[in-house]
Amino acid sequence: MSAGKEGRALSILRDVFLANVRVIKNNFRPKCIYVAVMLRRMMEAILNKDAMDDKDYVGNKRLELSGQLISLLFEDLFKTMISEVQKQADNVLSKRSRSSQLDLSMLLVKDSITLGLERALSTGNWDVKRFRMHRKGMTQVLQRLSFIATLGHVTRILPQFEKSRKVSGPRALQPSQWGMLCPCDTPEGEACGLVKNLALMTHVTTDQEEGPLISLCYCLGVEDLELLSGEELHTPNSFLIIFNGLILGKHRRPQRFASTMRKLRRIGRIGEFVSVFVNEKQRCVYIASDGGRVCRPLVIADKGISRIKEHHMKGLLDGARTFDDFLREGLVEYLDVNEENNALIALYEQDATPETTHIEIEPFTILGVCAGLIPFPHHNQSPRNTYQCAMGKQAMGNIAYNQLLRMDTLLYLLVYPQRPLLTTRTIELVGYDKLGAGQNATVAVMSYSGYDIEDAIVMNKSSLDRGFGRCIVMKKHSAVNQKYENGTSDRILRPPRKDDRNKKGENPDWERMQILDNDGIAAPGEIIRPNDVYINKESPIMTKGSLKMVALKDSDYKPSRQTYKGAEGESCVVDRVTLCSDKNNNLSIKFMIRHTRRPEVGDKFSSRHGQKGVCGTIVQQEDFPFSERGICPDLIMNPHGFPSRMTVGKMIELLGGKAGVSCGRFHYGSAFGEPSGHADRVEAISETLVKHGFSYNGKDFLYSGITGCPLQAYIFMGPIYYQKLKHMVLDKMHARGSGPRVMLTRQPTEGRARNGGLRVGEMERDCLIAYGASMLIYERLMLSSDPFEVQVCRACGLLGYYNYKLKTGICSSCKNGDNISTMKLPYACKLLIQELQSMNIVPRLRLADS
Amino acid sequence: MDPPPEPVSYICGDCGMENTLKPGDVIQCRECGYRILYKKRTRRIIQYEAR
Repeated sequence: MSAGKEGRALSILRDVFLANVRVIKNNFRPKCIYVAVMLRRMMEAILNKDAMDDKDYVGNKRLELSGQLISLLFEDLFKTMISEVQKQADNVLSKRSRSSQLDLSMLLVKDSITLGLERALSTGNWDVKRFRMHRKGMTQVLQRLSFIATLGHVTRILPQFEKSRKVSGPRALQPSQWGMLCPCDTPEGEACGLVKNLALMTHVTTDQEEGPLISLCYCLGVEDLELLSGEELHTPNSFLIIFNGLILGKHRRPQRFASTMRKLRRIGRIGEFVSVFVNEKQRCVYIASDGGRVCRPLVIADKGISRIKEHHMKGLLDGARTFDDFLREGLVEYLDVNEENNALIALYEQDATPETTHIEIEPFTILGVCAGLIPFPHHNQSPRNTYQCAMGKQAMGNIAYNQLLRMDTLLYLLVYPQRPLLTTRTIELVGYDKLGAGQNATVAVMSYSGYDIEDAIVMNKSSLDRGFGRCIVMKKHSAVNQKYENGTSDRILRPPRKDDRNKKGENPDWERMQILDNDGIAAPGEIIRPNDVYINKESPIMTKGSLKMVALKDSDYKPSRQTYKGAEGESCVVDRVTLCSDKNNNLSIKFMIRHTRRPEVGDKFSSRHGQKGVCGTIVQQEDFPFSERGICPDLIMNPHGFPSRMTVGKMIELLGGKAGVSCGRFHYGSAFGEPSGHADRVEAISETLVKHGFSYNGKDFLYSGITGCPLQAYIFMGPIYYQKLKHMVLDKMHARGSGPRVMLTRQPTEGRARNGGLRVGEMERDCLIAYGASMLIYERLMLSSDPFEVQVCRACGLLGYYNYKLKTGICSSCKNGDNISTMKLPYACKLLIQELQSMNIVPRLRLADS
Repeated sequence: MDPPPEPVSYICGDCGMENTLKPGDVIQCRECGYRILYKKRTRRIIQYEAR
């Protein structure tokens, strides 16, 4: 007994406890040392709070990439398959008499791995029992709403733990995420601060082979722990070498070791993403080559002098060099968060001191892709940049160069997308200037007409005529020519034409099928209106039962036409029609239906500074203010949008844009770009403005379009890049008088898609009660909802029924109609009473005179 | 009585060949075997509204 227990404890100590430290030939010494190091750290943390590790520190975090997840899943599936085969083989071999030879390949379930991978990928559920992993939502469908939405989606980092925790630690901005994770781009609400985005230059490492690195460490003078005694272990100035969380040994001259490792990395002898981090406090050198660390490139400096010289940059400009050349020649290197602690990084070359080891490439790269689109973000209040990061993904524009060849289920395009007049370097790097999502609108910041309160904007009708904010919405509709189990299938018929007559001499449907070709499928280019048929399909009435070989007659089919359901009064165009086979080998027909929309009152617009607003009214250009040069704004924005939002960046964008159009040069507004020349200074912009005859402060002398008189004040006017957001009234507007009701409760249905009613909810009801509007409550909650007449027995308080023969109400429990009263009740109330009765609870109504 | 309606042809997504299809045919280009076909643009005169 005791021997068995001892063996089990030993095996747990060997295999489970600190499983990363391997036990070779029953040598537990590495494990003991590891435990000792752990204990020492714990004691240090107890004695000295500064030595405590920060679990939110980015250097202590690893990103889990798709490859790791897939490999985990594959390992599980593969092992499951093998054990399955083993079980089956044992089963076969255990039988006495075997007729045929054992063929292992026959026991393999053919596509169990494929199916398992497919299932995990399509559902996103990673259920790996072997590793006790149950995760949901591991796969996502890539957002294709706009180019930026796609880019923003692929740089997103999701947290592992649940979101409901109310601790601020993991949500707060971590100083160590500088340059690695975008400080601006995070969603609002419950996932705020937990969902992060990569910064512009971040690289996520992948696993690197450990063996050569370990032997290299030993070659560079790491002494194996096995060879050291306690005295040697504690010699001063000798550091522990920890490689990927494993103690390799000690080194007597750690700084020299670290610098040799770094030199080897810079000349490319070991991988460029291997990190070497000397921790003086813990007296350790950490070497990491594992995957999932975030790292970023930095320019190497020798004694404060950058290794990148003039001729290197010239080579880059001429295209003779690429970034990889810089990396290979040891001018630039990747540092991870830990190794950054060993570096002294200067923001600019001129700030470098002799101690400086690295120089930042550019400060604007601490922002991510979405935040990089904002001009002058460093002049904005921080939450505005966060709002813009969320909003930039909803802007309509271009998706990809092949956007018109793709068959997306929903595609939002802008008709005349422009590149922003005020660009940033990030915009050029990610290609937003080629696949933009917005237009440069001349904005006048003034009050106009009262339809501009609460961030609403007044739009110029002529600008809309010229194409401002015009967008295309393409929707995919598909139809499948289904095959059924009894051998029958749908059919697509030639549509009835104007002169065709059926047996009864009538032809009611031809008008709805005018856009169909002779093959019964709508042709591209045709105008399609609501309730038009776009495929004249018929389905067999009998789809079940035995296989029928007889040809079906016309009477065996029922029409199953698909009609277009769009907004009433709008006309769309069939853009493309494709025919292909789906995975069940059925003919599948897909229609892209295009709808061009011009902005209307209620459409949502936004500048690049988190300043969204709906179109409040559309005014004739004649009534718009105009300047002496004849410049007339495209839209008017209320000045109240500025003081509380503090989006100074938007004002500078206006100035820069105005200077840009007058001098014919794109101005820049990269984050923190003023010292390095990646952002124009307001002073310089003002000078350009003055040179071209504008006021230095961007204000213009305007005339009122209505009276023709000069306006009392000078108006701040100039171009601002405006985005049209995908939320449009046409998709949302909804009203209903009477309409469909839910069968069960007889109350109006819910939601726009079901033509539902507008609910007077609990809080609205409270208001009405507080006000004492009893008749209004009665009308809303009963007459306009689900009135119902019931027979109530005054004696027993239960519901009776109406006997149509005797023309009286009868109580079914009293078996008479003596005490029956007729009253009105919401049907839902009657339903509740009956449901309670079915559960053996008897609600009784007590009537009183009213 | 009526002249038989002329067959509708489809354009191959790869080689651009025009294909005619009968009900029950496999959706495939006769020339190159590509499995996506596009319908040709309508031949009716369409007047679009520009607003």
